[in-house]
Amino acid sequence: MRNTTIEKNGIHGFFLQLGNKWAVIFLLLEVVIFSIVSPGFFSLNGIQVLLINSPFILLLGLAEIFVIITGGIDLSVGFVMGFASVVSAKLIAIFVELGMNDLFSIIIGIVITLGIGIIPGFVNGILIGRLKVPPFIATFSMLGITHGVSELLIEGSYAKDVPALAGKIGNGSLISIVPGRTVSFFISPLVQRGERLIGIFPNVFVIPLIIIAIFAFILKRTKFGKHTYAIGGNIDAAIRAGINVKTHLTKIYMLSSLFATIAGILYMLRFVTGKADAGVMFLLDAIVAVVIGGASLYGGVGTVWKTLIGCFIILVLENGLRMFGVPTFYKLVVVGVILVFAVLVDQFFPELIHKED
Amino acid sequence: MNTNKNSTLGASQISSKRLSILAKNWALFFLLILILIFSFTGKRFFHLANFQNILHLSTTYLLLSASETFVIITGGIDLSVGFVMGLSSVLAATMMQQMHAVNFPPALSISIGSIVTLIICIIPGLLSGILITRYKVPPFIATLGMGGITSGLTLIMCGGFPVTFLPPYLTEMGNGYMIYILPGKAVSFFNRPEGIVGGELKELVRIIPFSFIFIFIVLIILWHILKNTKFGQHTYAIGGNMDAAVRAGINTNRHLIIIYVLSSFLAGLAGVFNVFQTGVGNFTPFTAMYELLAIAGVIIGGASLMGGKGGIFGSVIGVILIGVIENGLHLSGVDPFYRFIAVGLVLITAVVIDQSFPDLL
Repeated sequence: MRNTTIEKNGIHGFFLQLGNKWAVIFLLLEVVIFSIVSPGFFSLNGIQVLLINSPFILLLGLAEIFVIITGGIDLSVGFVMGFASVVSAKLIAIFVELGMNDLFSIIIGIVITLGIGIIPGFVNGILIGRLKVPPFIATFSMLGITHGVSELLIEGSYAKDVPALAGKIGNGSLISIVPGRTVSFFISPLVQRGERLIGIFPNVFVIPLIIIAIFAFILKRTKFGKHTYAIGGNIDAAIRAGINVKTHLTKIYMLSSLFATIAGILYMLRFVTGKADAGVMFLLDAIVAVVIGGASLYGGVGTVWKTLIGCFIILVLENGLRMFGVPTFYKLVVVGVILVFAVLVDQFFPELIHKED
Repeated sequence: MNTNKNSTLGASQISSKRLSILAKNWALFFLLILILIFSFTGKRFFHLANFQNILHLSTTYLLLSASETFVIITGGIDLSVGFVMGLSSVLAATMMQQMHAVNFPPALSISIGSIVTLIICIIPGLLSGILITRYKVPPFIATLGMGGITSGLTLIMCGGFPVTFLPPYLTEMGNGYMIYILPGKAVSFFNRPEGIVGGELKELVRIIPFSFIFIFIVLIILWHILKNTKFGQHTYAIGGNMDAAVRAGINTNRHLIIIYVLSSFLAGLAGVFNVFQTGVGNFTPFTAMYELLAIAGVIIGGASLMGGKGGIFGSVIGVILIGVIENGLHLSGVDPFYRFIAVGLVLITAVVIDQSFPDLL
């Protein structure tokens, strides 16, 4: 994000700067407006709620940005997320039943789920990279397959019997304070009636944040990241430059599935259950967030940082409207308008498109 | 496959040509094989009533797929059709409900509701068409945005509940049959024979649902437009090579806008039909993915997302294939969730076959 590259003066230059930064400005405007009109939005509690709701769209957005930069799309992330929530919940329940200690079975269950969760991405990668199936079709098929498998695992209901400890981790914060009584770290303390729990940095927000920071660095600074942009920019040139495109694409789709799997595990930790359709609602939101963040579906353009802004535009809108007391239906309308607006801004200022790092 | 070089082909070439015919029409062959298999495994699968049922339940998907066929041939995609269908369903139902509430005659309120809805439903298509052509917004984004807006407006209109208390006769029209036969006793057209008592209802044979006639006429018209008219040829030309189409003097912007309007109109038709079929106005949940299933049908039918390929007949086969898989698995007593997996596998097969026989293009 070096906007020093945009050096135009006068009215056009001003609008260029505005066009370049419109997402940030829009986000700030949203925060200011909702702070004024929605009671409780700009409070410790309101921000907590916002952060607790954020991990799924953040992680799926991260998954999509990698895929979209290569010029593809991953429709399967929503159901891979559901699949992961079901598999992890099932595994943990099985381990507990086998007589293992709660914490131990949660850890083992999560590790195994991470391994299983990248399989859909691996298959996607093989189909797209080697068999030249269009990403839209390959990942849509995988959407159907993961949906079917996870519904079969839970027989159309939801996964049960996850130990309560999972919920304590998922709903805990890095620092939880019950004023005047106790302070605890990572795991949420027992709250008695009438006491107020102050949680600072919810776990479900901190974990994605760390992952996002790591992968933002990888995308921006490493050879892996450069190759990702190269493939999206011009796949033929990337092949000529000696990049192993097939392997790289397989890795990208595996990463995408991995992030979706982590989102699914966080879902399981937070709601202490696994559901096949846990992530459906977040799929389109994630794609929209990536596009609002200035990425192009033709590939080669986009950054993690701007995707983050896109995610928070949607999150703030959703939370703000809810606290304002408006049905969330309005969110769909507003998001649709923003989406079209985001692309129009890019169209009116073609100089912006290639000015991203 | 309109080659007439057979006389000069060697034996191996003939066999490869046969293979390629098989590959081109694999969806049709696969459909026939599935019907054969399900006839053995499925209880009461091979029955006139069941086949009519499959077609009847596929009607909305057939309409959505027809609209996607046009859009996909031009190299675009329309993600809003499912939500336009929801808008149309809710809008038509709301209008009928309001008019029925102030004692309009049912025929009048039904026809006014349907026609006005169909007219309103071209607006999303018009807007996405303008965005796509005039402002060069990628079709994926423009129609996704339009889908979000439509879905939100629909939910605001119906408050998240199905619209009920509609005029009478709706479902009779939507689910009626041309001919009813009570073996050995009565034959009647359009309406059930009078005075049927409980036990006899099971023996009543129903032939040719209205929905079948309706969808048949619509599809024949669309097939004709795509296959035999200048409009259809231009559609293929735009999808095959946009620049060449522009040079050939086709007004591509106007053409694409018409395509998206048509797509929206067909989605609106699907929504109105949905009201007739179910007797209530159903909104489309944001997670329904109707459009994705419709696209799956189009792709299984041999279209390419790159544009320039596909046809109404293929899309119909694709949709019916999905319908037969769902119905057949259900009647064979297989867990209903296998159908998601089955559709996914068929879709992958479709594209891999396409990739392995590039001469089909």
